Amino acid sequence: MSEPRAIKIAINALGGQGGGVLANWIVRLGEKAGYIAQATSVPGVAQRTGATVYYIELFPEAAAQAKGKPPVLALMPVPGDVDIVIASEMMEAGRALARGFVSNKTTLIASSHRVYAIGEKIAMGDGRENAGDIEKLARKTAGRFVLADMDAAAKEAGAVISAALFGALAGSGALPIGRAVFEETIREAGRSVDENLDAFNLGCRAAQGQASTAAAGTADPRRASDAAPAVQPLLQRLARFPAPAHYIMREGLKKVVDYQGVAYGALYLERLQDVRTLDERFGGERRDWALLKATAKYLALWMAYDDVIRVADLKTRGSRFVRFREDVKAAEGQIVHVSEYMHPRAEEFCDLLPAGLAEAVLKSSFLRGALQMFLGKGRRVSTTKLRGFFLLNGLASLRFMRRWSFRYRLEARRIDDWLSMIVSAVGENYALACEIAALQRLLKGYGETHERGLASYNRIVSALDAVRREPDPAAALKGLCEAALQDEDGGALAARLDALTSAMAA
Amino acid sequence: MAERSFAKEVEDLRIGDGEVFRGEGILAVTKALLQSGVSYVGGYQGAPISHLMDVLSDAQEILGGLNVHFEASASEAAAAAMLAASVNYPLRGAVTWKSTVGTNVASDALANVASSGVKGGALVIVGEDYGEGSSIMQERSHAFAMKSQMWLLDPRPNLTSIVDMVERGFELSEASNTPVMLELRIRACHVYGSFVAKDNVAPSFTLRDAMENPTRDYSRVVLPPSNYVHEIEKVENRWPAAVEFIKRAKLNEFLGGHKGKVGIIVQGGLYNTLMRALELAGLADAFGETAIPIYCLNVTYPLIEDEVKGFCLDKKAVLMIEEGQPEYLEQAVNSILRNADIQTKIAGKAMLPRAGEYTGEVLLKGLTRFFEEHAPRVLSIAQPPERSEPDIEEQRALAAQVPQRPAGFCTGCPERPVFSAMKLVQKEIGAFHVSCDIGCHLFSILPPFDIGNTTMGYGLGWSGASAFNSESSQRTISIMGDGGFWHNGLASGVGNAVFNKTDNVLVIIDNGYSAATGGQDILSSRALNKTKSTNNPIAKAVRGVGVDWVREVHTYHIAEMKRVLKEAMTTAAKGPKIIIAQAECMLNRQRRERPLRAQAIRNGERVARTRFGVDPDTCTGDHSCIRLSGCPSLTIRDNPDPLRDDPVAYVDNDCVGCGVCGENAHAAILCPSFYRAELIYNPSFWDRFRAGVRNAVIGFFQRRAEKRRLKYTFGESA
Repeated sequence: MSEPRAIKIAINALGGQGGGVLANWIVRLGEKAGYIAQATSVPGVAQRTGATVYYIELFPEAAAQAKGKPPVLALMPVPGDVDIVIASEMMEAGRALARGFVSNKTTLIASSHRVYAIGEKIAMGDGRENAGDIEKLARKTAGRFVLADMDAAAKEAGAVISAALFGALAGSGALPIGRAVFEETIREAGRSVDENLDAFNLGCRAAQGQASTAAAGTADPRRASDAAPAVQPLLQRLARFPAPAHYIMREGLKKVVDYQGVAYGALYLERLQDVRTLDERFGGERRDWALLKATAKYLALWMAYDDVIRVADLKTRGSRFVRFREDVKAAEGQIVHVSEYMHPRAEEFCDLLPAGLAEAVLKSSFLRGALQMFLGKGRRVSTTKLRGFFLLNGLASLRFMRRWSFRYRLEARRIDDWLSMIVSAVGENYALACEIAALQRLLKGYGETHERGLASYNRIVSALDAVRREPDPAAALKGLCEAALQDEDGGALAARLDALTSAMAA
Repeated sequence: MAERSFAKEVEDLRIGDGEVFRGEGILAVTKALLQSGVSYVGGYQGAPISHLMDVLSDAQEILGGLNVHFEASASEAAAAAMLAASVNYPLRGAVTWKSTVGTNVASDALANVASSGVKGGALVIVGEDYGEGSSIMQERSHAFAMKSQMWLLDPRPNLTSIVDMVERGFELSEASNTPVMLELRIRACHVYGSFVAKDNVAPSFTLRDAMENPTRDYSRVVLPPSNYVHEIEKVENRWPAAVEFIKRAKLNEFLGGHKGKVGIIVQGGLYNTLMRALELAGLADAFGETAIPIYCLNVTYPLIEDEVKGFCLDKKAVLMIEEGQPEYLEQAVNSILRNADIQTKIAGKAMLPRAGEYTGEVLLKGLTRFFEEHAPRVLSIAQPPERSEPDIEEQRALAAQVPQRPAGFCTGCPERPVFSAMKLVQKEIGAFHVSCDIGCHLFSILPPFDIGNTTMGYGLGWSGASAFNSESSQRTISIMGDGGFWHNGLASGVGNAVFNKTDNVLVIIDNGYSAATGGQDILSSRALNKTKSTNNPIAKAVRGVGVDWVREVHTYHIAEMKRVLKEAMTTAAKGPKIIIAQAECMLNRQRRERPLRAQAIRNGERVARTRFGVDPDTCTGDHSCIRLSGCPSLTIRDNPDPLRDDPVAYVDNDCVGCGVCGENAHAAILCPSFYRAELIYNPSFWDRFRAGVRNAVIGFFQRRAEKRRLKYTFGESA
């Protein structure tokens, strides 16, 4: 029966993205263009941050009049029978594909931006899903695929993403309805008309492949010749390392020099010297210097450990002031007051003291308690006001005494132990040495976060002997590292360590 | 005030005869009630029927003009009991709620009104929250209709049919002296469509008439011996009267062809989905024309025996399309045919899934199976439209990759910090049993909080922990929202706990609204409401029933919340302990404040707006902050540091500056990456002067430091 059929449109959106508004616009658009429109949704609790499908059917009114009766329209999409799918976010495009809404007759309009799901955000490491597979499958499956960052377009226009998506629908030409009717629909709705029309235009152009792809970061990233004379000797030493490691090592050097000066940079290179020699001996060239690169990366992060001095330094920089204005979308010249949430504890204070003194304080429960009374509460420090700025600026200037501090000694010892573990593992198992280097990834943050990471690190290190006896020690170590990042109370890591040691006993 | 304003929709309720009404299904029902000369309407809000309540709440003026009394009932039980007005008087009344949960609550009153029988038409409109998007247990309202003998309407999901069934429903109710239930599925409640309206009708017999001329009839009261008489009346009088009316008014429809060896019986609400499936099978056109005979049950209880027998008699097999379980209709049809010795094969759950929503895809598969088995010739001549089947394997692989998006607290929600604090207290005193309730706060059971063991019903949070009223080194915590508290919690939860001398803890989330159902006002709302009594504090109520240990805490003060929670859990004081966690629902607050602020800025007034941010260079990508919060505006982005692997936290521009991020950073001793930014609009002279001095001094020091750093630059711009 080649009878008239409805045009079927599914909108896969997230709560708060204006999916309902978009559905209403499409209904009005259809009615203005001579269609009978029906729309449904199942908002319910999904309105509160969940994913929702809005479903619309447009049926030519003329055909209904010719027949003398109204069509029977459906209230939900059937897989393989949807003409237009509008996905307001990349994973929602994936969800539409997974539900079978997208077929070779479908025009899929998707926004390429990501709104991360809670499961992706709460990971202790990087829990983000890969959007690449979705794009690949979309290209293969959809009759037509329009992909652009509609969120950016909407933000540029100061509107909600629904307006940009409405524009993309017009631009895609998937509906036999002229652009003027789309624009009229927005005007008639009468809310934020100018912003919505701007976003509509941008969305429309994006769908027609005329997106003004903002040229991001076109500046040449390597202008080595601008390096200051003080760091030239370091760069000369760096040049003697294998070229594939230059990029990472340069970034590492930058970080440690910024952290504690040129001499500290020299120490960084010195620490890497042994690793480089060993890497070379055990086939580093063949392996693209994986060990040297890994060690260079994680050593720099370790040497630039976070302490009060570092935080105070980063918080008071001019570049940071420029950045926070951007982040909070302050207008040109607008006054912005910023206050920091600091929570220094006795531990952090002792980190700064000379080693002997710190040990004395930490040992004495009285001194520690007295200190805690002073420090142990959260404070808000306003960096944009003079008192707060000078407080932090003063703390940052304590950098000169960092190398004598308790924490510095502690970290130096830990780094040495770690490096010797790496060094002693290379000969036996190159991949294992790389994984040992990567263990530094567990040591992040401050306060409790840092303590938790350090505890995981220590537990793994003390199980290294058991790891070595595994058939694939590198994989086993990697598994432990991942387990440590799985939950906060260390349950997954404990289970894995148990399995490891009991396997050893068996 | 509800989350959404229905000012425009209210105007649509006024339209008259011949005009076209355009809008949502549930609003069409509202208009149909006014067209039916209803005297009173009550109900309890909840998806998918909240909009019916909200629009009537905004339509007081029209209702007053028509002499219609509208009541936002305290619970579904209160709403159902309202129908008592139709027992003695020729008053038409309608009540509404979310089902089956609301019907559960209402069933005491429903059973009584069904036993008494009604003189005026009584309509119970249930929003059947079943299938995709549902937030409740998956059950059928059908069982309630059967057990109390109320008639159940299940109209085809188009506005004309729905409106028609509302009007017919009152007539059926009056013709058979029985309350009638009208079942609307979620999508039907929200479907946008149109119908031709009629004039609104004011009731000819008013509530006032009844109050000034009271009549009573002893035989209508549910007490011996009347209760025994009622049961006999039900089967001997009311049932036959209903069957007669349904037949005469042709409420069920014989659609499709009249010939052939096979046919389909379908619940009215599933008709459109069935027609789409038939269209895709090549057996129907877009107008619902098909050669397959279809018996469409717009009334699913009672079944009309003659119609069933007549439809099945000449057929070899009939497909029974009935959503949900148990398959009451299939059993009933089989029983009718068995008693009449008709051998037609009834295929229902044998062809279709026993449980779950009947989507187009599900029905298409079921239809194909049915025809293959019972009428293969039908399929062989069908010409289905072109449709490409998606690759199942690829779909599955992708489905595993696409992250779930569980519902969660809104940006800036005041309930979030309560659970952040609870998580922190658990770290200190160990895990405890948490009994949850119904409401937005139930999102605590999902990531990132993962707090909560059970939920037993609206207002039943504390009762859900009543068994744990036992000697123990760890107390239990129960949660209740203010909505649930007034719905049922005051008596079943608090009263119960006081009477039974519990030693456990209750946290009442007092956000000023019945927030989960759309932000309706309740007794303890702080707002002034012209037609309702608000500002009745929860603390007064719980003290009134005998709770001594009561603390009121502002939810955003996490450290204080943590302290009070810990105190409640560890204090030597015996007896029930209640913490009232207070702060206004952010969704409603923003809806109220945002336009005012925008206006103030436009007027040139000095306005300070707060929001939060994260410094990427001090954030190490552990995401502890997100695990303690889960705020939608607290998200992640690429780490700008090429040496670091993990994405950094990031506060997007939706931040409303509730302060929870900062409070959490303090209470949990997180990293110092969070900052609070205050943006000043229309600064005063004094603001500008001070900012000028600060910028000059700070800028000087920053430039000096920058110069020093330039001595060590590696060349790239920082």
